[in-house]
Amino acid sequence: MKLFGVDVGGTFTDVIYNDTEKRMTAIHKVPTTLEDPSNGVVQGILELCERQNIEKSEIDHVFHGTTIATNAILEYDGAKTGMLTTEGYRDIIHIGRHQRPQNHSIMQDIPWQARPLVQRRNRLAVAERMGPAKDQIIKSLDEDQVRGAVATLKEKGVDSIIVNFLFSYINPSHEQRAKEIIEEEYPEAFVTISSEVSPQFREFERFTTASINGFVGPKVKHYIQNLEHSLKDNGISAELHIMASNGGVATPKTVSEKPVNTLLSGPAAGILGGAWAGELTNRQKLITFDVGGTSADIGIITDSGYSESSARDTWIAGYPVMVPMIDIHTIGAGGGSIAHIDEGGAFKVGPRSAGSRPGPACYGHGGLKPTVSDANVVLGRIDEHNFLGGEMSIYTNAAYKVIDELAEQLELTRERTAEGILQIMNNNMANAIRERTIQKGEDPREFSLVAFGGAGPLHAVDVAKILNIPEVIIPLYPGINSATGLLTTDLKYDVIKTEFMLSTNMDFERLNQDYQTLESQLVNQLKEDGVAENEIQIHRSADARYAGQGYELRIELPSGNLNEETISEAFTSFHESHKGEYGHNFLESPIEIVNIRVTGTGYMPKIEKQAINHEFQLEDAFLKKGETIFNINGNLEKVETKFYQREKIPGDTEFHGPCIVLQKDTTTVIPPGCTAYIEEFGNMIIKVGA
Amino acid sequence: MTQLKTKKIDPITVQVVLGALENVAVEMGHKLARMAYSSIIRESEDFGCALVDIRGQQLCESTHSTPLQSGPIPGYIKGIRQIMEERNDAFHPGDVIMHNSPYHGASHGPDVGFCIPVFYKDELIGFSVTTAHHLDIGSSTPGSCGIVDAVDAYAEGLQFKAIKVYDKGVKNRYVWDLLMDNIRAPKLVVGDMEAQIAAAKIGAQRYIEIIEKFGLDTVVAASEELMHYSEKMMREAIKKLPDGEYSAEGYLDGYLDSDDPAKKDLKITVTVKVNGSDMIVDLTGTSPQVKDRPVNMPLMGTVDIAIYLTLRSIMLDSTIYGSFPQNSGLVRPIQIIAPKGTLCNPTFPAPTIARFNSGNIVADTLMKALAQVVPHQVSAGVGNLQVVAFSGEKDENYWVYMDIMEGSYGGRYGKDGMDAVDTLYANTRNNPIEDIESHYPLRVERYELKDNECAPGKWRGGIGSVREISFLADGSFSVEADGHKFAPWGFDGGKSGSVGSLTIQESEREEPIKLPSKLPNRIAKAGSKIQLTGPGGGGYGNAYERDPDKVLSDYLDGFIPKEKALEDYGVFITDSGKVDYDKTQQLRKR
Repeated sequence: MKLFGVDVGGTFTDVIYNDTEKRMTAIHKVPTTLEDPSNGVVQGILELCERQNIEKSEIDHVFHGTTIATNAILEYDGAKTGMLTTEGYRDIIHIGRHQRPQNHSIMQDIPWQARPLVQRRNRLAVAERMGPAKDQIIKSLDEDQVRGAVATLKEKGVDSIIVNFLFSYINPSHEQRAKEIIEEEYPEAFVTISSEVSPQFREFERFTTASINGFVGPKVKHYIQNLEHSLKDNGISAELHIMASNGGVATPKTVSEKPVNTLLSGPAAGILGGAWAGELTNRQKLITFDVGGTSADIGIITDSGYSESSARDTWIAGYPVMVPMIDIHTIGAGGGSIAHIDEGGAFKVGPRSAGSRPGPACYGHGGLKPTVSDANVVLGRIDEHNFLGGEMSIYTNAAYKVIDELAEQLELTRERTAEGILQIMNNNMANAIRERTIQKGEDPREFSLVAFGGAGPLHAVDVAKILNIPEVIIPLYPGINSATGLLTTDLKYDVIKTEFMLSTNMDFERLNQDYQTLESQLVNQLKEDGVAENEIQIHRSADARYAGQGYELRIELPSGNLNEETISEAFTSFHESHKGEYGHNFLESPIEIVNIRVTGTGYMPKIEKQAINHEFQLEDAFLKKGETIFNINGNLEKVETKFYQREKIPGDTEFHGPCIVLQKDTTTVIPPGCTAYIEEFGNMIIKVGA
Repeated sequence: MTQLKTKKIDPITVQVVLGALENVAVEMGHKLARMAYSSIIRESEDFGCALVDIRGQQLCESTHSTPLQSGPIPGYIKGIRQIMEERNDAFHPGDVIMHNSPYHGASHGPDVGFCIPVFYKDELIGFSVTTAHHLDIGSSTPGSCGIVDAVDAYAEGLQFKAIKVYDKGVKNRYVWDLLMDNIRAPKLVVGDMEAQIAAAKIGAQRYIEIIEKFGLDTVVAASEELMHYSEKMMREAIKKLPDGEYSAEGYLDGYLDSDDPAKKDLKITVTVKVNGSDMIVDLTGTSPQVKDRPVNMPLMGTVDIAIYLTLRSIMLDSTIYGSFPQNSGLVRPIQIIAPKGTLCNPTFPAPTIARFNSGNIVADTLMKALAQVVPHQVSAGVGNLQVVAFSGEKDENYWVYMDIMEGSYGGRYGKDGMDAVDTLYANTRNNPIEDIESHYPLRVERYELKDNECAPGKWRGGIGSVREISFLADGSFSVEADGHKFAPWGFDGGKSGSVGSLTIQESEREEPIKLPSKLPNRIAKAGSKIQLTGPGGGGYGNAYERDPDKVLSDYLDGFIPKEKALEDYGVFITDSGKVDYDKTQQLRKR
């Protein structure tokens, strides 16, 4: 199989190629074409084909990570939307949960009021009302009113219509009927109904999720059409799949219908790339650590795979989103994070970033504020001659100047200030990891930290030290890790249904029937996508809570017929995971199954591992000696440090810190007391010393 | 008492310790919200978590909760210590102490605090505390809001004055039995209390871990630095104000249906006295306490929090200043004067349980006083909240549900007011309709913004909402609200906002009945529907200066009718829904 993975980022489009039979991998980077990113995607593929003599017509699969949906919502630049909603509840997406995002602010903006996904004038109410009980129709749908409303929206030039009815997660028939009417009256419109996007209770969150889908929908659909045409026009007949936030890929058709599922496309692929690196070293418990210029993304992988965020914990641009997503914890800490002294005199790093323009002072683009990258330059960790493979110049004096200015205000030395910047930054990142591990009952000492992104390997060992993580893994291609992740995924769909069933009053007939319905729905979908029956895997789970609670925990359920015995095992595991998550459980309390979930995966071909070249000696990799400053037991010491070229470090040869490993897309710092080696399949393993 | 060594500490360590402390408060809040049973905690987030040091100073607080809960925590500790001293009692490892006395630091009776003394190497080093609003506390009528006819502190329900529910690690089961026997919906309430204790335990454990990692003297020195820092932030902000005195008055409905003039039109007077970096907030001139109605406010726990929170939101607005540590240092430059025997400093046993709305008027009046000196940092008058306790009988006990109806903000310099949102010292969340109807015999019949009603101004007032809820089974309800008589103030030429209202439509009557803002428990038959309308915030600036396109936008969104665009804003909107700029200009010239 010939596989391509293409991940579009803000600055670069990363491309990876893998020939699974020849076990051959090649990578490439082209600038992202912001106007229409599909141009960069195609260009990247074509260029790599040419360089590697790949016959483009022979490519089997293209896997793609996209930021179209994400950018549309972040930049508030989406479709002209309209909404049909239940009469009496026109402003659910405007009032929200009536809570202000900030406790201490008069001048704040409320995102859903300041940037409505559907303007009130285009939110039209229609008579209908479902109730909380199954099959309880309080008011039937006024179809004439729906037709009238659609005509009005059409006349207003709305190109995307969202249908948000109360209790549609229990009975979607009114939403479905409204959709049919829209398709009859206005077939060009992009239609979203809330029960299809996220059939879960909590109307504000569901309506908002559906509205995001409608808001980004036409753009994503258009983009994917463009990309498909453009691939075809250029002689690439490969099957295209798009990365979704749930850690699987989906077909262009599904993504065009539910683009809200791609909001974390790129970061999700990054976590998969981290998981792949872990697999090469045979590690199951991983913390992925992706640090770029402005932010750090943290993901957790355990024996049971990557963790998914719970329905109520995901926010994009201030809006809640209730769709299955990999749990990615993002904080504003990166190479461009600005160090400053605030009005109260405190020494802070981030969350503001110098971005890529002007960027850190050491980039020489006119940046005048001290950043994390400048601190790394001062400490001798970023090499002025070898940054990004020597393709980018580093202005050491500019870094000295901005750090000195800050040092003067702090009454500290230049070096102490620079080291302080890193310490504050590293502790911020460690706290973010702590929230996802220690606070959820996971012990970081059992994990490996997989670091990637431009700045991840610079900070990884220091962060690992703070948390007593014993081992750091730097993948072979840390700069294109998301693209690598794209080649490790399966086709994956989730279906969900709000069930509300109490452990004291189980209705096994309903439960079994509902699971079967969801499962056959998934199997049909996957078959439709061309997956053979024996390559389909079905996995059951449920969201459960103690009756009365407001937040759910995910529990696994076995396949087959559920009965007293199987369910009581599941409830036991619920008690355990409640204790693990919160440090406490309520053994006497009844458990409520809130949602049932089924995940279906269809097998996709994947990247094959490949042993690296062994013909070098460590001396071949040696570049130079430099002086680097490290904090050793609280004292700053200038130590002689070796610089190595990653590509030439031989396998299975130990080398020791202090040293710095350079490669084209990142720099790895290995402090004194740490030992590192390159493994068979290319990972660099760093054993963290005391 | 521990001797505090003052150790010189570098700014880097300060940040590292701060991060670790804040992380603890976040974790406590996260876990409490997720473990809690009743919607008032898990959905409305009416709870607080904090660590307090040995001197009673707050080190960090949960940002993920309502400020009215975390803010009073140092006061809870002060009250607990005072009572324990009086009773010759001492803290021991393994103790868990329950407290809710509004005359000893608690915000009001339903906000029960659980306090765990934290020991490090046999030495008491501080406290881990959670507070939360409980559904019922054994008051005279069901629920813990809308107890508007309680005549004294005893009528408000159970009073806990530093009660050890765990004594040296041993559960005091008789106290728990007493709770189960005297509280309506006891399983929910006791489940919430257990969740509070579990979260406080986590806080205590993490506090010790931090001390083990950094050393007690470093943590003490770092926390002292953090207090200095917050104090300095506040002092710098006060210094920017010109020295002088700035006064304002605000009014509370009180009991609009009462014949007793001492029970209504209650006045709040705020005078802000600025002197360099010090500020005095003087409440002299405020109405005397209402002896037998619970609208009085505990000075410590309600009045102080309303003041601190408002000052911080205006003078150190997090949109402009970013987030920085909330701790006891922040309030050092501020002195509060509240004459004894007034609404703002009642004497025991005057009742206080329904003090919520009064406190928000203190906050609003303080903002009105400050508007004179920092007009670009305030909003025009703010609409108050309205809280309803619904209840009914079920399985030989009660179901109780509390529904919080939001207010709205006034216009701001450069921005319209925030619509339909919790205001000032409250910041709870509403409960999803789909959750309410799935769990109680209630139907939310309508929930949306008011059409065609918002206060004119260059930046218009926020829009209030309408909420209608009907009973599907026989039950009862009580209401704790305000702002049905006095509308939020307009500022700088902006018009005043609109009042809220409460009515009930009973199935056997034709016309809805208007009800007062403070309504004691009232029986409601199945089919009865209550309607609440939320107040609209005041307008800011001259409406004739409002951008005509914004006026048009409000018209298209149904917030103002065409006539009002003309009358209030001088904007002429054509039949085809466009602004006639020429006509508008002419109109505005007049």
